[in-house]
Amino acid sequence: MQYFRPATLEQALALLADDPDARCIAGGATLVAMMNADLVQPSALVSLKGISELRGIRATEDGVCIGAMTPHKVVANEDRLTGRLEVVRMAAGSIGHPPIRSVGTIGGSISHADPAADYPTALVAAEARIEIVSVHGRRVIPAHEFFISYYTTALESGELVVAVHLPTPSQDSVSVYRKVGRADGDFATASLAFCGSFANKQCISASVAVGGCGDTPVRSAEVNEMLVGSGPDSPRIAQAAEVLVETCDPIDDVRGSADYRRLLVRRLLPRIFAQASQKVAQ
Amino acid sequence: MNWTNNMPARHGIELHINGETHAVFPKTEHTLLEVLRSQLFLTGTKRGCNQGVCGTCTVLRNGEPARACLTLAHECDDEEITTIEGLATEGKASLVQQALVKVSAPQCGFCMPGMALVATALLQKEPNPDQAEIREALSGNLCRCTGYVQIVEAIELAAKEAV
Repeated sequence: MQYFRPATLEQALALLADDPDARCIAGGATLVAMMNADLVQPSALVSLKGISELRGIRATEDGVCIGAMTPHKVVANEDRLTGRLEVVRMAAGSIGHPPIRSVGTIGGSISHADPAADYPTALVAAEARIEIVSVHGRRVIPAHEFFISYYTTALESGELVVAVHLPTPSQDSVSVYRKVGRADGDFATASLAFCGSFANKQCISASVAVGGCGDTPVRSAEVNEMLVGSGPDSPRIAQAAEVLVETCDPIDDVRGSADYRRLLVRRLLPRIFAQASQKVAQ
Repeated sequence: MNWTNNMPARHGIELHINGETHAVFPKTEHTLLEVLRSQLFLTGTKRGCNQGVCGTCTVLRNGEPARACLTLAHECDDEEITTIEGLATEGKASLVQQALVKVSAPQCGFCMPGMALVATALLQKEPNPDQAEIREALSGNLCRCTGYVQIVEAIELAAKEAV
């Protein structure tokens, strides 16, 4: 297995184009664990550590851009992630433990595409767009199209995630991320992300995503529509939760049974909806 | 342009550990943990789960706690690495190490190197941490004996004695 440390994005993309079995290494938090367990045997590693343009958060014309190599710790402390983008900050702060958050990166996490991880759910709810490049060019796709299935993304051979783009949050928007796991720092048994806005205690826009309850973050246009026009005490919230449960496709695994996950989703939606409406009041 | 030809894969590297520079020849897949233990014989860093869960292999990378088992040796050639062997100065245990002994925090002791390094990094950043900050800092390190209460006590003691 060869090791390369390119200094520019161009060099990295050329290396990936040359060798379809090469893998990028970002923070290593997942890839090295998988290599230790003999689950992956790349032909070569292309370290992204030396490419400074992939690191850091910057304001753009229409929002915020998070470089793929930005560690979770930096995102968790980013003041510009407010309103409907706070969900991304909350998700980053929920990943693992401090030593994991200081090395793990947003690009690495989403490219791994574990549906029980924190970022995929938050990014789908926040309607993030993923910027992807290869030697053939650049494309930007919505987060919900990026996640295809368990550990499977829209990345083609030779492609690399370079950034996550988030739209400027409106002044009245709010968001909440809530994860239920077996222990602090674990992957989600189930997690819920809510982004939306309220006026006069009534929801006027909503975007919900569920983690750990399907092969990708689960979302439902019907649920979002049911939440719009509702207040935290509306009976429609419980109905929306039922529809959301039906949309989920959870499995039994070591983190919980499918039935338990459905129960969590049923309970979590009303709770985070109420929490979001309270945030507006503050 | 074929960058692979222009950019040879690397072999030998230098690692900067506890203030000393070591020339090593790790394979790409060798973790820092393997190099520390099997090539440099710095066996104070323990191998527990080897998948980033337990935290006993914690070292400091440029002062930040990190899992040596999730760190490829090649990735840290430009960093300052601190292991448990680097905490004592001139044979004298650091305040954190002394405090851990004083409150009898170690039981089997296997988690101690990681705990001591996490505590050292915490106190460098926050000399007077409260209990919640200490617990948050320790949250990625497992002790199965388990003496968490004494470990937290030891860090509080180390913070007091540093003043």
